[in-house]
Amino acid sequence: MSTDYVPTMTFHPQPEPGTPGPWAFPAPERAALGNGVTVLHCHRPGQQLVAVEVLLDAPLAAEPDGLDGVAAILARALSEGTDTLTAEEFAAELERAGATLDAHADHPCIRVSLEVPASRLQRGLSLLADALRAPALPEDEIERLVANRLDEIVHEQANPARRAAKALYAELFDAADRLSRPRSGTADTVKSIDRAAVKAFYDAHVRPATATVVVVGDLTGTDLPALLESTLGTWTGSAAEPATHAPVTADDHGRVLIVDRPGSVQTQLLIGRIGPDRHDPVWAAQILGTYCLGGTLTSRLDRVLREEKGYTYGVRAFAQPLRSAADGSGRALLAVSGSVDTASTAPALADTWTILRTLAAEGLTDAERDEAVQFLVGVAPLKYETAGSVAGTLADQVEQDLADDYQAEVYRQLAELPTAAATEAVVAAFPPDRLVTVLVGDAAVIADDVRTLGIGEVTVVS
Amino acid sequence: MANPAPASASTGGNGAAIAITEHRLANGLRVVLSEDHLTPVAAVCLWYDVGSRHEVKGRTGLAHLFEHLMFQGSASVSNNGHFELVQGAGGSLNGTTSFERTNYFETMPAHQLELALWLEADRMGSLLAALDETSMENQRDVVKNERRQRYDNVPYGTAFEKLTALSFPDGHPYHHTPIGSMADLDAATLDDARAFFRTYYAPNNAVLSVVGDIDPEQTIAWVEKYFGSIPAHDGKQPPRSGELPDTIGRELREHVHEDVPSRALMAAYRLPHDGTRDADAADLALTILGSGESSRLYNRLVRRDRTAVAAGFGLLRLAGAPSLGWLDVKTSGDATIEQIDAAVDEELARFAAEGPTPEELERAQAQIEREWLDRLTTVAGRADELCRFAVLFGDPKLLNDALPKVLDITAEEVQAVAKARLHPDNRAVLVYEPTAADDADATAATDEEGAAA
Repeated sequence: MSTDYVPTMTFHPQPEPGTPGPWAFPAPERAALGNGVTVLHCHRPGQQLVAVEVLLDAPLAAEPDGLDGVAAILARALSEGTDTLTAEEFAAELERAGATLDAHADHPCIRVSLEVPASRLQRGLSLLADALRAPALPEDEIERLVANRLDEIVHEQANPARRAAKALYAELFDAADRLSRPRSGTADTVKSIDRAAVKAFYDAHVRPATATVVVVGDLTGTDLPALLESTLGTWTGSAAEPATHAPVTADDHGRVLIVDRPGSVQTQLLIGRIGPDRHDPVWAAQILGTYCLGGTLTSRLDRVLREEKGYTYGVRAFAQPLRSAADGSGRALLAVSGSVDTASTAPALADTWTILRTLAAEGLTDAERDEAVQFLVGVAPLKYETAGSVAGTLADQVEQDLADDYQAEVYRQLAELPTAAATEAVVAAFPPDRLVTVLVGDAAVIADDVRTLGIGEVTVVS
Repeated sequence: MANPAPASASTGGNGAAIAITEHRLANGLRVVLSEDHLTPVAAVCLWYDVGSRHEVKGRTGLAHLFEHLMFQGSASVSNNGHFELVQGAGGSLNGTTSFERTNYFETMPAHQLELALWLEADRMGSLLAALDETSMENQRDVVKNERRQRYDNVPYGTAFEKLTALSFPDGHPYHHTPIGSMADLDAATLDDARAFFRTYYAPNNAVLSVVGDIDPEQTIAWVEKYFGSIPAHDGKQPPRSGELPDTIGRELREHVHEDVPSRALMAAYRLPHDGTRDADAADLALTILGSGESSRLYNRLVRRDRTAVAAGFGLLRLAGAPSLGWLDVKTSGDATIEQIDAAVDEELARFAAEGPTPEELERAQAQIEREWLDRLTTVAGRADELCRFAVLFGDPKLLNDALPKVLDITAEEVQAVAKARLHPDNRAVLVYEPTAADDADATAATDEEGAAA
């Protein structure tokens, strides 16, 4: 302790909060375009960067056998030129509008995100509409995207966090389930992708009738219905039924997979299984309990692993929906993730299991619950300050087949949840004997100590 | 990072200038306020005018390690109480350390603003009452793991450190990066931390900004109440000069053989200081050459030659030393560094000879305008920029001129800066060659295991 130090400032008691200002999660309005596109829109005063999210009903499970990655290549190819613009011209026009356009393919659908200053919304929407309506999908650019993806796979292999995720999905899910395989494909499958495959996937799955568009931002003075009709409304296509999603199942018997990465100065940890998604009434309690376990550096895991032991820069527990369906057959990935210095690998795992067992035996405290609720509910106005964050959550709700007021309802539930409900949910989510542990690190240094922990059979792969 | 501010008419709606008021307490603390009642949130941001450039030999990383210690409690706040209280009030918070400054920020629901001010004042005035060996040892380990996670255990992770060291000569205050070396992190003592606090953590060495749904009179009254009695002190020496000649005069090149997934060419060009018109011109030049998928280097290397999987330019703005233009090219397939070098040099020479087209300049200005909008769209972004202009350039109101200045730059100015600065004799280059898998394992294990032990 520092004994010679006497602060000379005047101290005051900790201040009491004022009266909270009113805030509610934004409620979107719905509309439909003549061509069948579903529209959700939401006016956010002052948000001069408008966020547009498009959901295309092209799930990864719909990719043809042996062509994993075709959805990802299609997503990237959407911005490689149209019926009137070359790839270079299209990129230039987007930048001239001060816009960004990103697209990625995930298990539920392809998401296309446009951000554009409100003053140039019309130009941005018109470029977006062209990309969806008439993408050129040029052969030479697709060859390049395939080559880039092959390069990218090599870079992913070198990244411990990416490698851990890939290994966990392969462990948890049956090889026949698309969830078990990398979202953007493997070298073997990507090599087989050509323009014909990309075009066929586009023709089969991308159409206005099954597309949803979310528009959020300062829409003052914008005639949005007319603007959307004159842009996205010009896209035509046949009718189709929305895709259905297969139930999610996984093998979560407790075991350890060490992915050998010789010379690693840290071990990447990813400890996971599957559990309830947002359709399950337990979701709010699971969010609350999971936050208490590993949401921040004052949560149970970091309180020990970081703030007491210094094993890590930070470890987080989270729940992330994988594939959801209205019938409740979907699931979320529940996991603990972080990295620890190599020498601390086994001690950090031992502490993690002790924390989980103590949590199951003793439960959460009311103080923990209160602080977590105050954070999760109180931080919402900050979390949803930007148009992009609101649009992202509204699009997630559509993607997961949830009501438009779902997130607002979660906040209402969180505020009222008893401590016991949060305990029960997090204990059910992270049972110590049903967790698959993936460690990416130096097997020669860590394997023996991990074997003695009794957290499951240990397999080493390189 | 590029610049902020929706000032042009074309951004529409709220493109008006940001309302800014300034105050100064008797102890020297500068306070900047900006009201905005659209959302019931308020951002508090505190910039201390101290960064890794103030560190001395043998104590690299101390400013950043110290930033961690600022979250370990003070006279009225328990260890980790800062996090508990802010998050328990529905706020979010963090701190970051760069070459030139250390910042701390809380974004709060507006009715919890007073708590954030109380917390910041408590640690500014009384950190040493709580700082002890336990915190020091613990956070030393945390920071070492931060270093491993972000730099040592990822491919190309130490490129920033290596290229910075190559760009600024030994002994220059910017020669080392804020994360510091493992050896220096190990060597730092509690007395170093105490001395650091006494030297740099004074109200007269800080700027506080508060932005959002606030009552300015009430806010100033709270600031006066909580910060007003913290004594000023003048222990701080000015940082060693970061001045260097405008150009390096030759190419500096280093080859690295490591277990990386592909060859890479990275380079840092010496550019004008942040805050100057020439720095804005350089920003536009780098944007045209290497930002986004319509840039010259992307079109050349990724689209046409197909020798690169990624190619881009970014600007590291520095006020107390020359800024750096960062080139980062990762090769594709079997492409060689010679091919990349030749193509980059050809594109730079062409750009210097011809300058930008009007379309390129328009696109670059639109991109920078969007980045500003993005930066200023949150109260936290605005609070941070106000502190930046106040600390680095003396006047927070400069924020409102920043974007108009960029939009005013001409093609001739962009060409002139490219001609003067973006050429081989004004760069440090780092070349990565992947080692065969088995060698690499051996090397990496030797180097890095030592540090981990």
